Amino acid sequence: MAALGRLSQALLRSSLTQSRRQLSASAHDHGEQSARTWKILTFVVALPGVAVCMLNMYLKEQSHSHEQPEFVPYSHLRIRSKRFPWGDGNKSLFHNPHVNALPDGYEGHDE
Amino acid sequence: MAHQAHAYHMVDPSPWPLTGAVAALLVTSGTAIWFHFNSTILMTLGTMLLLLTMYQWWRDIIREGTFQGHHTPPVQKGLRYGMILFITSEVFFFLGFFWAFYHSSLAPTPDLGGCWPPAGITTLDPFEVPLLNTAVLLASGVTVTWAHHSIMEGDRKPAIQSLALTILLGFYFTFLQGLEYFEAPFTIADGVYGSTFFVATGFHGLHVIIGSTFLAVCLLRQIQYHFTSEHHFGFEAAAWYWHFVDVVWLFLYISIYWWGS
Repeated sequence: MAALGRLSQALLRSSLTQSRRQLSASAHDHGEQSARTWKILTFVVALPGVAVCMLNMYLKEQSHSHEQPEFVPYSHLRIRSKRFPWGDGNKSLFHNPHVNALPDGYEGHDE
Repeated sequence: MAHQAHAYHMVDPSPWPLTGAVAALLVTSGTAIWFHFNSTILMTLGTMLLLLTMYQWWRDIIREGTFQGHHTPPVQKGLRYGMILFITSEVFFFLGFFWAFYHSSLAPTPDLGGCWPPAGITTLDPFEVPLLNTAVLLASGVTVTWAHHSIMEGDRKPAIQSLALTILLGFYFTFLQGLEYFEAPFTIADGVYGSTFFVATGFHGLHVIIGSTFLAVCLLRQIQYHFTSEHHFGFEAAAWYWHFVDVVWLFLYISIYWWGS
């Protein structure tokens, strides 16, 4: 709780003092460097990090099997105590027939 | 013409608090009516009224602050406190859903198979899309900081570019999450795993959309010369909100995606 108060003080202070610091930025150069620093961080660390993760995804996708998960009629899954307020009330909002089985099994298949 | 002998903002009478309250009533009761009586008219009406209220109320605040000079330093300080308190309340909102997740996952009940993840749940690989999403949000935190420093240094073009990049990263996250939602082998109806997963990540996704919208408004304002190097609180509030969204994701990633898999 006290830490939260201190954090808010720091936020208030830092934003206000930063603007005050900027007023004297013309006196020395370090103020102008900050944007450049974050620009460098963006293109050297942040965006390459995203690119690496995208590459990782692409490579993992290739070695994936796209099998349908086995259907076991567990009673603790596929709960339908109240129907969904759309369609036939049996499919979730992001229903994907390939990977989401209905309570009786996958659609279009006979178990 | 009357002058005030203080630095505070005595706001003019406004209809938006009332329309906002009416909208809240219509949205909530309308949703209940949709669930029980299969009619969406009240909910739709409420949502439209809510959107109109938000647009006009915040437009008026921009007019008062940017064009009429009412946002003096003490007024700005109050706005800062307000945003901090609001974000704090949102922290508690998410705390509840994390509580629910840990309550269910630390002591999994026999009907789930006494294990977490529950029997029959195929979890998402935390080192595929979720890891990419983490990188995307962390990168957007860097770009929004670049934008802030650009604004403070009066660099108009880099500010616009970095802010636009931040918003694009936000959209990319939303797109990836949408894909994940559609590809997930489990749904919200798959017991307590599905409930905690989709409610926690769902509300987070909603906050990403809200944060992206807030940043987009800031981008439009920056293009229209609203911000000065000393006074740009709207942007700071958006940046704070965006960092908050990023931090919530980190907790979600560690707790639900990684530990919970």
